[in-house]
Amino acid sequence: MYLQLALRNLSRARVRSVLAVIGIIIGVTAITSIGIFGENLKKTVMESFGDIANEVIVLPNSKEGFSKIDDRTVELIRKFPYPGTVIPVRADSFEVSYKGEKRYVAVYGLDERAITELFKIAEGTADLKSGRCVAGYGIAESLNLRVGSRVVIDGRIYRVSGILEEEGARFDIRPNYAIIIPEKDHPADVSAIIVKLEKLEDIEGFKSYIEATVNIKDEKVEILEMKSILDRIEEAFNQINLFLMAIAGISLLVAGVSILNIMLMSTIERTKEIGIMRAIGAQKVDILKIFLMEAGILGISGSVVGATLSIAGGYFVTKLILGEVSEILNTTTVLFAVEGFAFGVGTAIISGLYPAWRAANLEPIEALRYE
Amino acid sequence: MKTVVFESVSKIYRTRYYQVVALEDINLEIERGEFIAVMGPSGSGKSTMLNLIGCLDKPTEGEIYIKGTPISGLRDHELTDLRRNTIGFVFQQFNLIPTLSALENIELPMIFRKAEAEERKKRAERLLEIVGLEDVADRKPVEMSGGQQQRVAIARALANNPEILLCDEPTGNLDSKTGEQVMEILSRLREEGVTVVLVTHDESLKRYAERVVRLRDGRIVDVSSVST
Ligand SMILES: Nc1ncnc2c1ncn2[C@@H]1O[C@H](COP(=O)(O)OP(=O)(O)O)[C@@H](O)[C@H]1O
Ligand SMILES: [Mg+2]
Repeated sequence: MYLQLALRNLSRARVRSVLAVIGIIIGVTAITSIGIFGENLKKTVMESFGDIANEVIVLPNSKEGFSKIDDRTVELIRKFPYPGTVIPVRADSFEVSYKGEKRYVAVYGLDERAITELFKIAEGTADLKSGRCVAGYGIAESLNLRVGSRVVIDGRIYRVSGILEEEGARFDIRPNYAIIIPEKDHPADVSAIIVKLEKLEDIEGFKSYIEATVNIKDEKVEILEMKSILDRIEEAFNQINLFLMAIAGISLLVAGVSILNIMLMSTIERTKEIGIMRAIGAQKVDILKIFLMEAGILGISGSVVGATLSIAGGYFVTKLILGEVSEILNTTTVLFAVEGFAFGVGTAIISGLYPAWRAANLEPIEALRYE
Repeated sequence: MKTVVFESVSKIYRTRYYQVVALEDINLEIERGEFIAVMGPSGSGKSTMLNLIGCLDKPTEGEIYIKGTPISGLRDHELTDLRRNTIGFVFQQFNLIPTLSALENIELPMIFRKAEAEERKKRAERLLEIVGLEDVADRKPVEMSGGQQQRVAIARALANNPEILLCDEPTGNLDSKTGEQVMEILSRLREEGVTVVLVTHDESLKRYAERVVRLRDGRIVDVSSVST
């Protein structure tokens, strides 16, 4: 019955109610669709890093004056008693020439297994017998390299046995503009060791293993965990997203103010009615309930529409900016919609609180005399 | 026990710029089941007196007892309970809730009492019958004549079976014929044991009352019994 009363009161000032609902719709849609878009953006970026969370990079500790990783360290790391792949990396920059064109490019020394472990081959094979090389996508394009081409690297001839696919952002090795030659042919020292552990849980164990073996006397190496880097990137995305949602929240705030406004108007217009209801036995809480229910109805109807719209809105914005969306309804999307809904209803009720409180606390006699 | 007792009651309205003595040193006892008319010129304090009985307001001085309970010490929610369970109001302006139908208006005091929906509906229908308006049950106040609205208002005042019915110029906005109908209903209620306090300045209505209290400038100037 209170519900009916509230509904009828709202329909009495239909235009006003509709405007208030539109305000809530805009506010809820704004925060929810930005939330959904941000989440999708984060997901897309995180996916482009690929599956590197289980990677650990061992680097010489330059702070202590170590500039290379010695063979003994490589041996010790290979002995780490948990499943994983150990890839020592030798790196330097050399002059590379092909058909009279010269470039100064990064050259990595890896073994054949490491290539298949880390990258995908676009053309040819990963064959890295002595005198063979594999070219990154970018350098192959810029020098017009083909499978079978002969290039001169640091004064020695290598035959291209394969060309890599274009790679996204990486932290360990950036292969697009690099050439990979056999580890044994590479004159430089080992400058890093990439360790791919099969289980994420083994990372802690690996760190204490290094402390207990390699770094037992001197801090020879430091360890870069991909997981903590990824975590930090994700955290940054979450913060940016929260910030954007807070900005969108301003529109919800405006909607709240408009509800406050129309509810205050409505308490003033209905002063006499409030007096009548108090005279025939309504307690303060009854009046409070009626007005809060009106605010609640505005909030709920606006938020339902807003949340639904923003699932569609988030989809289109994501599609427009990122070009692709994996799925419309996943748990995070729904979570954001539910969150937006809750914010919308909350805003409406908080805005209705003061007018409702004022209505409830009118002096019955004064309200009744009001014309 | 007297239903209503005024014990040297004064009511002074103070505003920032002036003060009005609406009632001054009123002593009055109203018996249970009595039909009392309060008469006097405009501004003499009639409505103020009625609102005090109706627990809508408290006296500035003195004490009012409703069924033996002194009201000056009661809190807002206690006054509301008392009002809802003991008192029915009928106003000159009818004061129906415009968004509600006749039936719903009558149900409203029972809703505030938290009565069951079914009981509410049944009683509201019966009250409509008592005031002779079964056929307007679903109409909104704007779709009813003044007389019909006032009869609905009386039915609403009776919803929670009050012992005291307070009527502030109930016929003031009605023509004499419909006014008569309303008065007939009120006098029938008296016969059923309801205490009726009728504020009016229509001299012709005093024949319905057992006693007439005359007010002037906030004081009782005359109390007389009406012999029928
Ligand atoms: N809330 C109020 N504030 C100030 N003055 C009031 C108030 N209520 C009534 N009065 C004054 O008290 C006097 C008595 O009013 P009222 O009881 O309404 O008289 P009546 O009903 O006999 O016409 C009038 O002078 C009126 O202006
Ligand atoms: Mg009056």
